[in-house]
Amino acid sequence: MTLRGSLAIWRRDMLVLRRNILSELVAVIAYPLTIYLAFGIGMKGYIGLVEGVPYSMFIAPGLITMTAVNAAYSESVWSLWFHRRVQFTIDSYRVTPISVSEIVVGKILSGFSHGLVKGLAVGLVIFAITPFRFPPGHLLAYLAFLVPGSAFFSCAGVICGTIMDKPETIGKVEAVFIMPLIFMSGLFFPLSSYPAPLIPWVRALPTTALFEGARQSLVSGGFAFGYGLQVAATALLTFIAAVWMFRRKMAE
Amino acid sequence: MSTAILARSLTKQYGQLTALSDFDLEVEQGSIFGLLGPNGAGKTTLIRILTTLMAQTSGEAFVEGHDTRTQGREIRRLIGVVPQENSLDRYLTARENLELHARLHGMEARHYRSRIDELLELMGLAGRQRDFPDTFSGGMQRRLVVTRALLHDPRVLFLDEPTTGLDPQSRRAVWDYVRSIAGNMTIFLTTHYLEEAEQLCDRIAIMDHGRLIALGSTQELKDRLTGGTAYQIEFEAGAERYAELLKGMTCVREIEVEGQTVCVALAQWECLSEVLAALNGAPVRRISLRERTLEDVFISLTGTGVSE
Repeated sequence: MTLRGSLAIWRRDMLVLRRNILSELVAVIAYPLTIYLAFGIGMKGYIGLVEGVPYSMFIAPGLITMTAVNAAYSESVWSLWFHRRVQFTIDSYRVTPISVSEIVVGKILSGFSHGLVKGLAVGLVIFAITPFRFPPGHLLAYLAFLVPGSAFFSCAGVICGTIMDKPETIGKVEAVFIMPLIFMSGLFFPLSSYPAPLIPWVRALPTTALFEGARQSLVSGGFAFGYGLQVAATALLTFIAAVWMFRRKMAE
Repeated sequence: MSTAILARSLTKQYGQLTALSDFDLEVEQGSIFGLLGPNGAGKTTLIRILTTLMAQTSGEAFVEGHDTRTQGREIRRLIGVVPQENSLDRYLTARENLELHARLHGMEARHYRSRIDELLELMGLAGRQRDFPDTFSGGMQRRLVVTRALLHDPRVLFLDEPTTGLDPQSRRAVWDYVRSIAGNMTIFLTTHYLEEAEQLCDRIAIMDHGRLIALGSTQELKDRLTGGTAYQIEFEAGAERYAELLKGMTCVREIEVEGQTVCVALAQWECLSEVLAALNGAPVRRISLRERTLEDVFISLTGTGVSE
């Protein structure tokens, strides 16, 4: 398989993103920034330190990560559904000499890029207008979580965009699976808040590995190898599943 | 003449439903071939198999000698496709739509830029190349899709109902374009507009319920139906009596009576003098030639109108 078709599709998606970058970023930044201001600053005096760090610092890495993975998921799921069911552009790609795998890889790359761009934009805004600071050296370890995390959610979006034909189903899946997975993975509170019997189950979630690992990397500079491996393995598995399911759907 | 498209015993089943059944077809290189059939006849299924969008259940199909099951990429390099839905990218300008398609075909920028300029000019879209397709009229969008399909200079062009939903003027414009691009290229079009098939196609296949039921040129198909020509004879009075008289003649194939008009289908046009001799002295007001249309052929073969 060559990547020519994937790159052409990715380039198309980036052109559209670039064209709408301002409105996209305003929409994407507003939500996590509101949460940060409301919880991080508004509740700061009531919550104090969480796991030894101020609450605003505790939630900031999670908010940046949440923006990235949400953007990756949304771009992939809606883009794939729209191009497949509304605009029929997937069919127009399929009558050119590229393979079905190239199409799905292109879409995964686009979702992943959306996630990175939007996550980093939120990070910059939080960095610019709040007292949240971290040593630049911590960024590398953080990216080691953000990159596979965005890839994982982009692949999950491709899977949903491939198998779901109705837009309302996409919204339901987002409300019932994606948001709970993100919110219950220790984004706003430490895992120790869960009842003891639940903690191993929550720790087994790939989203917990992603948010906990990302926070540890950015705040303390440490790299949780087990969490890193779990996120990378999940990204790889969802990538394989996304390509397989899309190929299967196209063969129907 | 070499063969551009060949289908042998092509069958496609969706569960219990058979969309294509034992379908055989041969299309010569450089011809304009029309596939006619009512909605649900299997036309789009056939085109999707030939363009490698769908795999057949059994049988084989070749495009320019390449097997649709194993040589999809080679086939897609050689074909252009104008699907039923415009499938244009509304977030890209007309030119960007074409550039994306060129990149998917692996064309180099220095080649596709001049090719796009040339085709946009030819299709009358050069002035709108920086606009988004959803600001275009239906006819212009269709022309843009045809331009996109021609960009890589395909050897076979598939047009799936290219003028559906267009007003008569736009429809004629698309016909003119199709005629103008025909030459060495093989054009395979599906339509349920009989006039379109009649105007454009060298050969026509009629299919129904997934089966090929007739194949030939327009004239061959009409001749097969009537075995010759038909005339309308209008009488002053006594049409029924004269119809009975004509029914007994060996060269008369078919008789229909409508009021005082009798429609007579003859084995050959030379029989007309025999008919006139038989009607000697009858109060004939008018005799006119009734051209059989492709629609007559279609109805006689499928039992329904083409859009039913």
